[in-house]
Amino acid sequence: MQCDDLVRYLSDYLDHNLEESLAAEAQAHLASCHNCRVVLDTTQQTILLYRERGKQLAMPAARHAHLFAQLAKALKAEDEISE
Amino acid sequence: MDDVALLDALKQRDSSVLAALFTRHADALYRLAVRLLGDEQQADGVVQTAFLALLDHADRFEGRANIGTWLYRVAYNECLMRLRAAPSVSLDDLAGESGEFMPSCLVDWRNLPEEALLNEEAHAEMERAINSLTPTLRAVFTLRDVEELSVSETAHILNLSEAAVKTNLHRARLHLRERLSRYFEGRHT
Ligand SMILES: [Zn+2]
Repeated sequence: MQCDDLVRYLSDYLDHNLEESLAAEAQAHLASCHNCRVVLDTTQQTILLYRERGKQLAMPAARHAHLFAQLAKALKAEDEISE
Repeated sequence: MDDVALLDALKQRDSSVLAALFTRHADALYRLAVRLLGDEQQADGVVQTAFLALLDHADRFEGRANIGTWLYRVAYNECLMRLRAAPSVSLDDLAGESGEFMPSCLVDWRNLPEEALLNEEAHAEMERAINSLTPTLRAVFTLRDVEELSVSETAHILNLSEAAVKTNLHRARLHLRERLSRYFEGRHT
């Protein structure tokens, strides 16, 4: 496996979507190629950083409550129409 | 309670079930909408639209449909409508990027100290990097790598083939890696 191939298969490798023989080739290449190892590790780190940051984002509590109150009102209104 | 039981209760106009569904799904929909629209007020509107559609649709819901995925689909389509209405976005931007991309910055920044990786300046660069992607790449990356949905769920929500999800995810990851690597290269000792 060459560096080009490794990069092409990088995401499938990370997601464990490569068939066994290709995964083994990728592993062998990564063991001997520093550059590809760096690309793999920094890609993983990139994903982790976005995941940690991303999951902290939530609707602020006041707007969360306000929006829910509106929806509960809509639910009740539909109830009255159907009765 | 599973989705079928939740829907039955929602048909009975049970507001505690609405509360449970809102608690479970609202923030995830909100994150996707903020990511795509870059605007918190608009994101609130997207969440509202998705839940109103659910209330409207509860009687006609397919028995086996997944509520979370269904809400995501409505929210995503609402985001696309709002993006198309924005004058700065062309339809080409919505189509996703093409072409091979080879990593060029090979600095190993993985072992930078936490304060370098997690400070506000780094965060601002992360925001700029992801906002430079097309909406499709942003959505795929957010659903797969931030929310950790499966390829098939992501494909269903975004109305893409599974192959397209994988290709777009790969592009998004490589672009973001490149941007962050260039940024951290300057901070590496
Ligand atoms: Zn290599």
